[in-house]
Amino acid sequence: MEKHPSYPALAAIIPKYPRAAGGLFQAYNDILYSQQWVDVGVVDLPECGRGAIKGRKRDTETTLYVVPCSLAETVSFSWLQTAFKLLAEPEEIYLAVTSEDASIVYYKISLGIVKPPV
Amino acid sequence: MSLITPSNRSRGPHKGGFRRNENNRIYGNPFPLLFVEPPPSRTKSVLNLLGLSLTRLENPHCEGIFDPTTRSVWVSNQSDSLVLWRRGFYGKGDLSRSEPSWLARQINLRKMGGKQLTSEEITARRRAERQQFKRDRAAAIAAVAEEAETIFATEGRVITPALSGPAIPSAATWKPSTPSIPEASATPTLPEDVPEELEPLKDVEHLQLTLQEAWFLIWNLGCLTVLDRHTLESVSLKDLWTSFQLAHLPPLLPGLTSPMLQFDNPFLVNYVAYHHYRSLGWVVKGGIKFCVDYLLYKRGPVFTHAEFALVVLPVYEDPEDEKLSSIQLQNVSPFGWSWLSTINRVNSQVQKTLILVYVTIPARSRVSLEVLESPACLQYYSVREVVLRRFIPARMRD
Repeated sequence: MEKHPSYPALAAIIPKYPRAAGGLFQAYNDILYSQQWVDVGVVDLPECGRGAIKGRKRDTETTLYVVPCSLAETVSFSWLQTAFKLLAEPEEIYLAVTSEDASIVYYKISLGIVKPPV
Repeated sequence: MSLITPSNRSRGPHKGGFRRNENNRIYGNPFPLLFVEPPPSRTKSVLNLLGLSLTRLENPHCEGIFDPTTRSVWVSNQSDSLVLWRRGFYGKGDLSRSEPSWLARQINLRKMGGKQLTSEEITARRRAERQQFKRDRAAAIAAVAEEAETIFATEGRVITPALSGPAIPSAATWKPSTPSIPEASATPTLPEDVPEELEPLKDVEHLQLTLQEAWFLIWNLGCLTVLDRHTLESVSLKDLWTSFQLAHLPPLLPGLTSPMLQFDNPFLVNYVAYHHYRSLGWVVKGGIKFCVDYLLYKRGPVFTHAEFALVVLPVYEDPEDEKLSSIQLQNVSPFGWSWLSTINRVNSQVQKTLILVYVTIPARSRVSLEVLESPACLQYYSVREVVLRRFIPARMRD
């Protein structure tokens, strides 16, 4: 993993939270290479015990946040609320659920009720 | 031509039969090991009469690197990845939906409109078209409703706005109004930009094997060697067996010499289920998309959708072991009905049958912990299955 080209960007956060390291690495690679977001950076969320990813989709202006977590973890309501607070109250965050076979599933979580678009 | 409307016309060389034959040819070997028959000859028939065979076993000898952080084995070599994917559907490209196709997608993107679309691109197009169709349909329904309102306002006649009919597009009749490739208008400017930013593309993708898949290939089929990620030397089977278990345990404290291996290690419990179904001939893949642990495919994801969804439920033979254990296994305590119903509903919607797989963890009082040093400990685990289907008495009379 240390030889992977995206490791330097994560080198500060991965040793700090070893249990969340796998999920962060996988989510970061997916966002940067597969989804091809631009201005991708990492945000430290100490109360949640992990790092989050920020970036924006190509040709858009809003910064979006992705919080990785692994399939084996339990996600509590307070944990999510803390994440919202630490990321300066965005409208929505993406929860990236990672698994060992490199599958990743994104859930969009918003504060409050959201009407469906169509 | 839309990707979401049902189309009966064959599209030349890509019609159904051709695709099926192609798939049968490419994915024809369900095993990474190949049995190569020599051409028929006199010596061969004589040996066959004696019960001997000249069939050679061809072993692809793939190599992978163990990464404990992501708890997986990475295969970076492209030919090895292809062999493992095409012969048995082992692993998944970490930047793709199935086989590693990231490099192909990037090359396509650079060439802007390559003819060979990867599966991700086809899916992306189909989803974009479906979104457009939904918007058109919503607009048409709104227009019909408005018309009904104006008729009521002017003439006083009440018309219930129809939700289907000639004015409203359905999946069978809708045609995409805008071209499916919105970037088509940008192509005139692109050929001038491309030579400037063209740097050689480095393939950052690898094939990722779960520890269960990797152990199955290493131990049962003997076609995978795992290298240490720092020294790049091959790791012995015994060391691998312990490393795979240790990957799930919390890191060693400096004072302790050897960590305690336990029977309820998630690697072991999941491996028992994986091994059971793989050895029965099913293709077992991860089921995170459907809220379950594993999906069972009859021949592979390329052929049909998965028929069964597995949830692995570990059961401690001795309840005392659960209290003393430092590992928090998921799904050990009995399912609540609401949770079980949710998972069953999700899977019924996608036409999969839910199977609950109970894996019994041996009691420490019966089996000593020393057996965990080798895979021989697997004989103490057992697997039982319960198939779950939702029963609707009104509809299911037969």
